[in-house]
Amino acid sequence: MSYERVLLANVEKPNSHTLAVYEAGGGYRALRRALKELSPADLVAMVKASGLRGRGGAGFPTGQKWLFLPKDFSGPIYLCVNADESEPGTFVNRVQMELDPHQVLEGVLLSCYATRAGTAYIYLRYEYGLCWRRMQAALDECRAAGYLGQNILGSRFSVNVHLHRGAAAYVCGEETGLIESLEGKRAWPRIKPPFPAVEGLFRKPTVVNNVETLCCVKHIVDRGVEWFRSMGTPPDPALPHDHGSFGPKLFGLSGHVARPGCYEAPLGITVRELIDRLGGGVRDGRKAKAAVLGGLSTGVISESEFDTPLNFTAPGRVGCLGLGTGCVTVFDETYSMVDFLHNSCRFFAHESCGQCTPCREGARWALEILDRIRAGRGRPSDLDLLQEIGDNLGIAPGTTICGLADGAAWPIKTTLRKFREEFQRAVSGRWPVAGETDPSSIFSTPGH
Amino acid sequence: MSFLLDNREIELPAGRRLNAIEAARWAGVEIPHYCWHPALSVVGSCRMCLIEVGFRDVRTGKITMQRRLAPACATTVVDHMVLVTQSEKVARARAMVEEQLLLRHPIDCPICDKAGECVLQDYHFQYGQKERRADPRPFSSRCRDLGDVTLFVDRCVMCSRCVRMTAEISGTRELLVAGRGTHEEIDVVPGFPLNNKLSGNVVDLCPVGALADKDFLYKQRVWFMNRHAGVCTGCATGCSTWVEENQDRVYRIKPRENPALNRWWICNDGRYDYPHVHDPKRLTQLQGAGTLDALNEQLRGAGRLAGVVSPFVTVEEAYLLCRLLRDRDPDALLALGPVPVVGDDERFPSGFLISAEKCPNRRGVEAVLAHFAGRVASFDELLARLDADAIDGAWVSGGYKQAWITDATARRFERLKLLVVQDLFPSPLSEVADWVLPGAAFAERDGSYVNRFDRLQQVCWAIRPPLGVRPEGSVLWGLAGRSGLYNAEAVREELAREILYFSAAMGLVPDVGVDLRGNLLAEHGTSENSVVS
Amino acid sequence: MSTQLDAALRSQIESLFPRYPTRQAVVLPALHLVHERLGWTPIEAIVELAELLGLAPSQVQDTLSFYGFFKQDRPQGRYRVWVCRSIACAPCGGEELLEHLCKRLGIRPGETTADGRVTLEFAECLGACDQAPALLVNDTLHGNMTREKLERLMETWR
Repeated sequence: MSYERVLLANVEKPNSHTLAVYEAGGGYRALRRALKELSPADLVAMVKASGLRGRGGAGFPTGQKWLFLPKDFSGPIYLCVNADESEPGTFVNRVQMELDPHQVLEGVLLSCYATRAGTAYIYLRYEYGLCWRRMQAALDECRAAGYLGQNILGSRFSVNVHLHRGAAAYVCGEETGLIESLEGKRAWPRIKPPFPAVEGLFRKPTVVNNVETLCCVKHIVDRGVEWFRSMGTPPDPALPHDHGSFGPKLFGLSGHVARPGCYEAPLGITVRELIDRLGGGVRDGRKAKAAVLGGLSTGVISESEFDTPLNFTAPGRVGCLGLGTGCVTVFDETYSMVDFLHNSCRFFAHESCGQCTPCREGARWALEILDRIRAGRGRPSDLDLLQEIGDNLGIAPGTTICGLADGAAWPIKTTLRKFREEFQRAVSGRWPVAGETDPSSIFSTPGH
Repeated sequence: MSFLLDNREIELPAGRRLNAIEAARWAGVEIPHYCWHPALSVVGSCRMCLIEVGFRDVRTGKITMQRRLAPACATTVVDHMVLVTQSEKVARARAMVEEQLLLRHPIDCPICDKAGECVLQDYHFQYGQKERRADPRPFSSRCRDLGDVTLFVDRCVMCSRCVRMTAEISGTRELLVAGRGTHEEIDVVPGFPLNNKLSGNVVDLCPVGALADKDFLYKQRVWFMNRHAGVCTGCATGCSTWVEENQDRVYRIKPRENPALNRWWICNDGRYDYPHVHDPKRLTQLQGAGTLDALNEQLRGAGRLAGVVSPFVTVEEAYLLCRLLRDRDPDALLALGPVPVVGDDERFPSGFLISAEKCPNRRGVEAVLAHFAGRVASFDELLARLDADAIDGAWVSGGYKQAWITDATARRFERLKLLVVQDLFPSPLSEVADWVLPGAAFAERDGSYVNRFDRLQQVCWAIRPPLGVRPEGSVLWGLAGRSGLYNAEAVREELAREILYFSAAMGLVPDVGVDLRGNLLAEHGTSENSVVS
Repeated sequence: MSTQLDAALRSQIESLFPRYPTRQAVVLPALHLVHERLGWTPIEAIVELAELLGLAPSQVQDTLSFYGFFKQDRPQGRYRVWVCRSIACAPCGGEELLEHLCKRLGIRPGETTADGRVTLEFAECLGACDQAPALLVNDTLHGNMTREKLERLMETWR
């Protein structure tokens, strides 16, 4: 079984990154049509009707986000393109920007038109060097062809698009962290409200959208709302706030799979389908043990949960944070989940922006405990302690400003709950190591 | 506007925009916090002030609580809001933050200057857990010289108050956060040290022992000190201060919050303006022919008298001196002592003002002089009268911290039959005086000062003067034949009754002082008496 | 008297001004330009940059220190090599690759070879999970690394 490739339609064409190839495949048709036939309000209405939800991780309905912008605002409005794809396990935006930069730009231009943004900044992570060069070249081509700049295609629509390069900081992917970083400050996320739509970049109304989300906008204009809604999972009637999961989605597949890569499929395919049908199953004929469901922050699922559909609601039912970026990393039976969690905590301890105490200190503490467990000096009480750190970390319990901490928490919570035995083995019978005393006994009260 | 705080109905005056910390404080409930400070922007990062927030439906009375904890500092209290600050959930969150702040904090309280007034200690005592679950580790107390203050790097809890202070209050932006995550430290750019006249305030803002005052470091355990409400005598702004002493020695001066004047700040000029109090060069010996009774006698027969009233003495002392001289000679010339002025006024972005006029009470003394003489004679006028042999005896009050009179000027007083000098330090004038009365330093005085904005503030003595020194007020009280101990408040009451300008200073003077222009507002329009707008 | 930022670099930075409504927003792109030119971002250059942007030196330094990319201890190697050790690369040999490279270069992550050629660092996810294990040389990605491929790649670091 295969799915029609829309978001990835161009990627296998030679020179897919050039304007000529993009135009030959129908590129900028949607932009021409929109400028001629649609008002910005029409476009917003279309996106709202399509049910498009953000592809960057949070899954917020895009049309609704745009509608939060103040009406008839006379000052500048900004669009920030979140191309700081840094979520571990995630690489689909890279594929898009490397191989089809014009698709991204058309999405950006359409979204600027819809939101009346006069300037767009594409915040691109530093590590994506080829993306940087390809996007830069695409911008130059666009400008020369009249798709970008003043009075685009003879209309009254004008827009500037600038590339802005990050410098290796994961938290810049958080939308207000990104805004702070763009303003030239340390990327300390802001307290919300005010939300960026009201007070964002340079204290002006701002929309922050992910690369893939903006590409979807292009296809919604090109192929229509009905086409978009023909794919995916409709809202679950049991969940009053479910907006459904419509449209195609890019799924990155990595880890111990036979054919890692970027695959396009409708929202709602199962993890197993993605791994087995599209990815050719687990590498070297081994069995899968677990998988990260949608980027590290969403947490892990065990092999028995591989039938979970990849849409916006199902991951929550298996204890995950959400769909996240939709990028699955598979671990086979030989891989230690203690090592995995150690890797995860190392990442979040390194990337915590350092603003909120529970994230700055908690992520590091968890790492130190896991360091000790891996060194054979784990204690049975460590597991409850780790669980407690995880359970009290993030915007879900309310202890932090931004969701980075939730990303740190979910791998801890899900791994410990689903693979507790493995951790129990790691901490049992090996402590105390001869010659060592438990230093914590100095402070702990017996029988407390 | 009303809200529910821990099941108590609290009324707030309409139109007051308070966050939950302020609103709770208004209702008498303290919500612990590190990063929030009323003068600084809200960052909501320490997470110590987490509370439960909900809303009450006006019609049904049904309360819906938010699932998530919310930082009180970033929660603006609105009508029908429900705040819970005492629940198990809140207590757990506070205990967690406390536990985590101690993970890497060196528990070096025994050698920490902040011990005893450390927020981390106090909160841990009140909200922390009984046990430590993290492994203890050896610690160091890494020191870094930031310029005006010393940073104990590892003690920092990253509240960022000090950084915001230099950005928002002094506007000098020396401090920065360096690094990310657990590697964050407060720092300066090499070659650009913390160096501004408000820098001492970062020490007060620091909730822990990270920022240390170089002047105070290792001098005294804070629990041995007593603090006394004072007024800074360094300039005409007259900031409210705490004078902190132990056994009659001043160890430090800190700002005393005064929303009508200096808010939370004082400048370094005022903060470190106390060593002169303990200067061994101070005058401590009465010099003259006999006791004060003899002096009183001499004054009676001295003939044409003149008084120089220093802008460093209190209003009460000025009043007693003028009274005394006018009693002895109804036409006594009353002149204002030299007013030291250095440079120009310095105003900071927050509005904080350091005055060029470096004395605390010119306005108050002028008002007293004007009351007795109908006008304020200048020091130069007095010198001219001296030269014209129009004066037989003079009483010169000093209290100056620096040299204030030249040899040449002092020699012009030599022709007097009687010269009484009451001063802090020996000067060319005390050399030629018949009577030298050792005067008190600011921390030893009772009385009140009037700042440049006509705000009268009252102080009580913080330390006893050195042996041999009698504060001016006490001497003048005795010379006037009044019984008992010097009572500055009784003198102020007298003044307030007698002199229209001081009428607002009747009765109890509040901690923040009293605006003497209050009753003249109708005539003069609005008052602009705050140094911080 | 300028020593770090020459006229060409200054005008390159100034050419970015129209892109942003504030000068502070130019900090990150300007730091990239400084790094590109000098191979690092020493304090002296930061002070000059701050002056050019009308900011306090602390504002630029505060921002700079947040991002892992900019270094102030010494000029970085001509080849800055980041080896990914994140959740997709680690199970596919990323940690071993990093260890191997440490041995071959005789340095630890964060260090630069004595000849100033190579600076080695670990990376959080490089976004090349489909090509694990991956490493980045300056800003060029090299995926599906093996020891043999690494040897060939190292030969190009001259």
